[in-house]
Amino acid sequence: MSKDSVTRRAFLMRAAAVAGAGSIATAGVVPEAGAAGGQTPHKAAMAEPTGAKHGAFFNAGDAATVEAFVERLMPGAPGRPGARDAAVLNYIDLALAGPYAEQQYFYRRGLAALNAYCRSTYGEAFVRLGAARQDAVVAALESGKASSFTWPTAQAFFNTLRTHTMEGMFADPIYGGNKNFAGWRLVGFPGAQPVFTPGDMQSKQQFTRAPIIGLQQQGPMPRKGGK
Amino acid sequence: MASEKTDVVIVGVGAAGGILAAELAKGGLKVVGLERGPRLQTADFMPHDELRYFQRQDLRPNVKRQPVTWRANATARANPLPVLNYGNQAGGGTIHYGAVSWRFHEDDFRARSHTIERYSAAAIPEDSSLADWPLSYAELEPSYDRAEYDLGVSGKAGNMQGRKIDGGNVFEAPRRREYPLPPLIVDQAGQLMDAAARKLGQHPFPTPRAILSQAYKGRTGCTYCGFCQGFGCHVGAKSSILVTKLPEADATGNFDLRTGVMVYRVNSDNSGRVTGVSYYGPDGADTTIEADLVILAPFIYDNTRLLLLSATDRFQKGLANSSGEVGKHLMAHMMPRIFMTFEDRYVNTYMGPSAQKHTVDDYDADTFDHSGKGFIRGAQISVDTDNLQGGPIGTATGMNPPPGVPRWGSAYSEFLAKYFGRHAAMVAQTENLPYADQTIDLDPNVRDQWGLPAPRLTYDWRRPNELARVEFMMQRMEEIGRAMGASRVWRAPLSPGIPGAHHEGGTRMGTDPHTSVVNRYGQSWDIPNLFIIGSSTFPSMSGHNPTLTIQALSYWTADAILNRYVRTPGPLA
Repeated sequence: MSKDSVTRRAFLMRAAAVAGAGSIATAGVVPEAGAAGGQTPHKAAMAEPTGAKHGAFFNAGDAATVEAFVERLMPGAPGRPGARDAAVLNYIDLALAGPYAEQQYFYRRGLAALNAYCRSTYGEAFVRLGAARQDAVVAALESGKASSFTWPTAQAFFNTLRTHTMEGMFADPIYGGNKNFAGWRLVGFPGAQPVFTPGDMQSKQQFTRAPIIGLQQQGPMPRKGGK
Repeated sequence: MASEKTDVVIVGVGAAGGILAAELAKGGLKVVGLERGPRLQTADFMPHDELRYFQRQDLRPNVKRQPVTWRANATARANPLPVLNYGNQAGGGTIHYGAVSWRFHEDDFRARSHTIERYSAAAIPEDSSLADWPLSYAELEPSYDRAEYDLGVSGKAGNMQGRKIDGGNVFEAPRRREYPLPPLIVDQAGQLMDAAARKLGQHPFPTPRAILSQAYKGRTGCTYCGFCQGFGCHVGAKSSILVTKLPEADATGNFDLRTGVMVYRVNSDNSGRVTGVSYYGPDGADTTIEADLVILAPFIYDNTRLLLLSATDRFQKGLANSSGEVGKHLMAHMMPRIFMTFEDRYVNTYMGPSAQKHTVDDYDADTFDHSGKGFIRGAQISVDTDNLQGGPIGTATGMNPPPGVPRWGSAYSEFLAKYFGRHAAMVAQTENLPYADQTIDLDPNVRDQWGLPAPRLTYDWRRPNELARVEFMMQRMEEIGRAMGASRVWRAPLSPGIPGAHHEGGTRMGTDPHTSVVNRYGQSWDIPNLFIIGSSTFPSMSGHNPTLTIQALSYWTADAILNRYVRTPGPLA
């Protein structure tokens, strides 16, 4: 079964709850803005579907936790795509169902420890915390201060989620993240350009000569090299 | 089943094995090349896929199936390395390497004698096994010249027969003629570094690379796509063994390349000669092939591992190991690094060949006075990308943000958004000294997919001489970075003792059979029909990248075999 059909099936199973592709980009941003005070429950978490695809590996609860966590690592803002815009959850979900399958147990244990820590510290699961508290939790993992973790350690879990978030932000969309080149648009990377000209090489400006190219847009091999 | 027989078996068809295969086959010998990985094609490299090639290391050995373990010292437990920096296909590391391709300095070949002459014996750390090479730069120069012209290297001469040329590397050893191809285009970061280094009185130059700056020998020039280090070249402009020597070897009709095969033993008889090798095929079939000559040319780990795995009653310490030196003197370049941001301009370091783009050699080898510095030997300093490749996964995972910027959250996202196109890195490739207790041996606990013991590295670079050199180089890089006009200059964290890039040693060459494994031709002192080629034979390592020297030594050995050994098989030195 192809990755597409796996995610498509998952997507269809949740279709009734999903408003449509057009709402996906904004779904990630609005609740963050509303949670700026830090104590407001995260509205998008359980009550509202975010539209990001999953289902190749994660169950719905774990998917919501991962999606909320990676959004804190790379938050979206107007004009600045974040992890939810890039469908980082979908990237991680597919990776854990395939090339990173050996890390499934790592994730299961890490997510359980994360929520155990949140409940013992704040009385709520991660997705129910406001952004400021979620950030405090992330910081506690990063510094290794979060209790409840044995294996994986809090830092190992943070570091893995961070790495996978960056992969989901910046890997080619063929892997399920970097949706609509969200990650590449964020940093101004033009993707899989087959050629940069001498003019491109000498320019002190951002590269804008050609549109962003992904693997599925790559053309036949150019035969003439630069001089 | 009766085993088959051939003239020459070559184990590992990479930077060294590919050259030996082509040259010996052209010389009329029947050559069988045994390669652990597949034979890919240029068309396989069209997907410019940072996740696959850089992040997931698709052109490197699989760390689970082909583990290599590391421990900092002999009392620590060894764990598998998370990344393996060598090739796993026909062409070996020349498929994915950054293609930095240059000669060693004259004094690199006699680092021990040179240090004693200029300073004193006391300048060499007491526990270092620093040794001279058993051949001089002048002896190897014709082979360097041949490698550059045969394979295709782009650069600018800085020392033509003793005449120093501004714009080239004025510290390079004298060369007989100009590079076959002009330098690659200098990118924005290279131009900034050039101007800054000149202001500081240094001598910057475009790093010579085995990448075609224009069409050469029927191959097309570089397109500056930037997917270079870690990637195969999508137009074949990188002068890899795949597009240079393998077609030559094929054309002879004397070359038989077998891929997907794992050599697990070199066979020897009671006369003290090797008789061939045994290997597992892709289907697991156990095959033995006989050969008059066996040449080992895999990455350095497997030179040592194969010799140790091939022990017999006659050779109880392993083949070619009467000296007891097999596996010793492991070396690696450490890569201390700084990062820089710019405010008023883009530098777009993701464009163009990504590794070590522009260089100063003013602090390399013994080009500067080390008196009172607390260390000997130096480092090349080059401007480049975050992790020798330029994509955003590499930036996000390879560049620690500057002090005051967190690794995640809004501030980090803003930082990446602003500076991905406006940052550069600089790296010092340090010439770490050899030490006898830095070793490769067989891991007693970890086995690979074939059930063979994994190579185990025992290594910790953090010795006083090496730490002092790293700190010195960090300061030089910070000076250059500030002179480049960077708004911020900050350091990458240092590695926790783990060996860096370009591993050397394990079967060192020398003049004395009691203290070295092979002679100047890579020929075993103990077993004259066994040759061991590659950076495993380096007695010291230079601050320069090893590949061109590996390749020059391969031509040098091929000549010695064809012109001398074939006529009179026996010791060449």
